[in-house]
Amino acid sequence: MTRYRNLSIKQKQIVWAYAFLAIPIVFYGVIRFYPTGNAILISFQDWNLLGDRTWTGLDNYAKLFADPTFWKVFKNTFVYLLIGTPVSLVVSFFIAYHLDKTRFMHGFLRMLYFLPFMTSAVAMAWVWRWFYQPVPIGLFNNFLSTFGIPQIAFLNSTTNALPSILAPAVWAGLGFQIIIFMAGLRAIPQSYYEAARIDGVSTWTVLWEITLPLLKPTIVFIVVFSSIGFLRIFDHVFNMTTGNPGGPLNSTKPLVLMIYETAFSSFDMGYAAAQTVVLFLVLLVVSLLQLRILRDR
Amino acid sequence: MADLALRDLVKTYDKTQVLHGINLDVQDGEFVVFVGPSGCGKSTTLRLIAGLEEVTSGGIEIGGRVVNNLEPKHRNIAMVFQNYAIYPHMTVRKNIGFGLRSSSAPRAEKDKRIREVAELLGMTDLLDRKPDQLSGGQRQRVAIGRAMVRDPAVFLFDEPLSNLDAQLRTQMRLEIKKLHQRVGSTIIFVTHDQVEAMTMADRIVIMKDGHIQQVGTPSEVYHTPANTFVAQFIGAPAMNMLPGQAVENGAILLKTGDLVKADLPVGTGRQVTLGVRPEDLTDAAAEPFLEGQVALREPLGHETLIYVTTEMGEFIAKADGRRPPEVGATVRLGAEQENLHIFDAETGSALA
Repeated sequence: MTRYRNLSIKQKQIVWAYAFLAIPIVFYGVIRFYPTGNAILISFQDWNLLGDRTWTGLDNYAKLFADPTFWKVFKNTFVYLLIGTPVSLVVSFFIAYHLDKTRFMHGFLRMLYFLPFMTSAVAMAWVWRWFYQPVPIGLFNNFLSTFGIPQIAFLNSTTNALPSILAPAVWAGLGFQIIIFMAGLRAIPQSYYEAARIDGVSTWTVLWEITLPLLKPTIVFIVVFSSIGFLRIFDHVFNMTTGNPGGPLNSTKPLVLMIYETAFSSFDMGYAAAQTVVLFLVLLVVSLLQLRILRDR
Repeated sequence: MADLALRDLVKTYDKTQVLHGINLDVQDGEFVVFVGPSGCGKSTTLRLIAGLEEVTSGGIEIGGRVVNNLEPKHRNIAMVFQNYAIYPHMTVRKNIGFGLRSSSAPRAEKDKRIREVAELLGMTDLLDRKPDQLSGGQRQRVAIGRAMVRDPAVFLFDEPLSNLDAQLRTQMRLEIKKLHQRVGSTIIFVTHDQVEAMTMADRIVIMKDGHIQQVGTPSEVYHTPANTFVAQFIGAPAMNMLPGQAVENGAILLKTGDLVKADLPVGTGRQVTLGVRPEDLTDAAAEPFLEGQVALREPLGHETLIYVTTEMGEFIAKADGRRPPEVGATVRLGAEQENLHIFDAETGSALA
């Protein structure tokens, strides 16, 4: 105790800072960093979860890059990302921008938009799955048939299935993004808009030259956040395509679903780990690129 | 450039009326300062003139044209905001140029105009900086530049100096006044600081609770305040107010029993308030009328303010800067007759 007492104020602060930092560091070390390291290790091994681990070197990766399913899945994952992120960004901004100006039932409307975010993804996926069923069950096809429009095979088509699954995924994330956008919009001082009104610039100019540039930190956050979400998409796909996981001809299968199947259907842990490492690298590169491109300029 | 007129201007928010019929004529090129405590309606009046708020009833005329239903951009005005409202992501050049965005002038002409304004404000070498690289005073100048670049008929300033420190405020006060002398546009300036009002204005409009209390030159509102509110609002420290009663020969009988010589135009028996500014109330008067003990001294160098406790309460007076009376000493205070302000005790309006 005397040793502690003899420390300077600065040194005492450091001791306490590390004491508090130690808790999350240890926690993360055990539940995050150790398994991550282990996964990277397993990706160079052959393991069926019960037997011995045997070294295989780069075999898992070689197999992966030669696997046409992997490239299909890789492409699907990026389709989710490249359609999902811009669409959800534009839609959520559009809603937030207008909701911000609405006084009438503002709180109720905001709650309504936020509701999907609080709903269980599994429940939501199954409800949407029902929407997509053919006549006489599905909501959308029933609606179309009343106008005499031919049936659409939403989930049973190699071209329609992916967008059909993406739609509820985008919808589910909207509430959160709208709230973040609205907070960003609120943070812009009202006098900026008043000054622009006096200067007589168009609403369009105000949007492009004042609102959007000032929202940039918010936009960067949402882009990175939703990109990570779409790259890791799983529960919507899994629940909407049970029975035929990954859709017809793997047309909806994302990387995470492939990892899940390799690991827990085929019990090929080494191969699954190699896929996980690839996913990790993709997430890392995409996030860093986005931060780089969007942050400065 | 143009003159400005407010006709029976009324503004109501929901059920609360905040302006109760404002009438004012501002001449072309005049520097008019709206001053008053917060909530008096001065900023609301400015925002009505700018077109940022809608007029409930009454009229606003700029250059002889009623502008009630015109968008701000069509009113030919420019406004400088309290927080400057300059855009942090744009350079000084773009910020100043933003006021020209809607103009159809060719690019070269706009650039020339921006340079002219920058030169006038002495910030040519700052044109490519971003606002976060500027000091408070420089940001203020950018905001003024953005207003000037459009060459508006009327400039509106909404407490533009409140965010600056005391020294900078004094400096910017001068700069704005100089600018006005050079440019000669009509300026409406809102502030809660009576010193700003006194030093800058051609005419001061003193407001309280949505009513105009007095309109006049700084000298007029200082020397002949219309009522006790104006008398106490203008001038620091505030005017001393002594209750009394009118007696024969136009004199005033104070509650202490002392008699003050004055030229009261009202009959005897009327309750009045005698106002004396601290700088006029001295311990060296020929005919003192108030006795008390010095409670506190505030040496200001060239003079010393003394806080004197009397039977009627505490009053502030001026004493010699070199040899002020000691704390606890008894002093007899008085003032020249021409420096006495007399108000009706009930209505507060000036009597003489």
